[in-house]
Amino acid sequence: MYKLSKKEIIEIQNKRLRAIIKYAYENSPFYRRKFSKIDIDSIRTKEDLKKIPFTTKDDVRENYPLGLLAVDFSKIIRFHASSGTTGNPTVVAYTKKDLENWTELCARCLELVGVTSNDVVQIAYGYGLFTGGLGFHYGAEKIGAKVIPTSTGNTKRQIKLMKDLGTTVICCTPSYGLYLAETAKEENIDPKKDLKLRIGVFGAEPWSENTRKKLEENFVENAYDIYGMAELTGPGVAIECKYKNGLHVWEDYFIVEIIDPNTGEVLEPGEKGEMVITTLMKEAMPFIRYRTRDITILEDDQCDCGLDHARIMRILGRTDDMLKIRGICVFPSQIEEVILKTNGLSPHYQIIADREGVMDKLIVRVEVAENFKTDKLTDVVMLQRKLEEELKDSLGIDTIVELVEPKKIPRSEGKAQRIIDLRKMKGLL
Amino acid sequence: MKQLSVFLENRPGRLANLLKILEENKIKLLAMGIAEAGNYGIVRMIVDKFEKAIEVLRNANMAVNQADVIIIDLDRLTEVAKLFGELGINIDYAYSMNDNKIVLKVDNEENAIKILNNKGIKFIA
Repeated sequence: MYKLSKKEIIEIQNKRLRAIIKYAYENSPFYRRKFSKIDIDSIRTKEDLKKIPFTTKDDVRENYPLGLLAVDFSKIIRFHASSGTTGNPTVVAYTKKDLENWTELCARCLELVGVTSNDVVQIAYGYGLFTGGLGFHYGAEKIGAKVIPTSTGNTKRQIKLMKDLGTTVICCTPSYGLYLAETAKEENIDPKKDLKLRIGVFGAEPWSENTRKKLEENFVENAYDIYGMAELTGPGVAIECKYKNGLHVWEDYFIVEIIDPNTGEVLEPGEKGEMVITTLMKEAMPFIRYRTRDITILEDDQCDCGLDHARIMRILGRTDDMLKIRGICVFPSQIEEVILKTNGLSPHYQIIADREGVMDKLIVRVEVAENFKTDKLTDVVMLQRKLEEELKDSLGIDTIVELVEPKKIPRSEGKAQRIIDLRKMKGLL
Repeated sequence: MKQLSVFLENRPGRLANLLKILEENKIKLLAMGIAEAGNYGIVRMIVDKFEKAIEVLRNANMAVNQADVIIIDLDRLTEVAKLFGELGINIDYAYSMNDNKIVLKVDNEENAIKILNNKGIKFIA
């Protein structure tokens, strides 16, 4: 059903775009204000979207909790919320139709990576306000797979259930995937031999090609990246196909634009920038030209898998995770890539930004691997220097590497907290 | 002789923690040397129960390694250093041990042992 040609996709997009703009204008006071200076009948194609102002996270915060609502309160049958680090959480609402659509998107994603009714799907994303758990849950159920709703936490029990129930598909954050693999080994279980994990669906935080290598060497046969966020219904917006060369966006449900985050100018396919998404099917809370703050590249050429839905490349980072160190933009994913390709280190790290006088300092704290050769001090010093040099090559700025003992970096069960900006805490930014 | 080495962060309490683990497992320390580089260092040790020590330290999530070392009497060090020097054997590092002994790590253990045997110098390897 979702295997549409480019022509069909564009026809559906244009039809649905006109409908959603009209719908938002007529039903949401927020959008009526936003569109007040626009002739909404002139919005007929993706190109016309440029005429419409962006919707931002600040809009959502300022209109907390339900200012963007486009349906009567009686039509809502579910709420979710994403954690706000400061101030109010972002609350999202769903109608019955919204939940059906979300289920459809998650089912498509799981199907695209090869999940069938024969699979045992363990969902180790948080259930509750976070959209991860329930989104995958409904999607996997729609396929008819056997669902184990473990949610996050209780890592040893997760592994026991994986083994005893023969889990074939694991859905969780990539950092929790690495932690599960590590814990399994401590329990004398080799995931590659003793477990049957065919597929891992990893999302909710940006991750790198090197992490995929680690996950596929130590945990699952195939690791796939999935994208979504609460504002856009949850997980299921885009997912990698078997070629693992970018994430296909379900373009009959979403229009993707890439913009320059500073000027707001729309960029061409192949250019790196902030992703802006328009939801075409959401009823309760449509998001029109929503600035996701995620940095990526859109590729519009045909994928080897034959699917015509455009692809976004791996998320490079979030505009809010981006650190400005001495004026240079640094993304945690760039640092992760260097750490993961260096032998002798574990994949667990923290990034600390600080300021001494007027100078910014970037400290990368990383664990040595348990099997790291520690006989000669020069080997350890060389490892530290090598990492510092490679980080400098990759980031263009000096970093201080602090090697710490194994298991000293706190592990996370949900999204990893990897950045500590002491400048913010000290009120210097 | 097998030597243990452990990567430790260079801050108060880390060494105490290491020694506590050995003591709790009734492992006796026979020699120890610390090499430090800024925020971290390496602790090298000779213990009475080598295998057991590796096991308990790994269980405590420490990065542990082993290496072969040679132990000689401290009062033969001048002579041995000269011999090794003449044969181009490098002493990478050394640290003293109880009972008036010294632990040596050399870059060519096979040759080192050969010459010590030839010269009739007492050693443990």
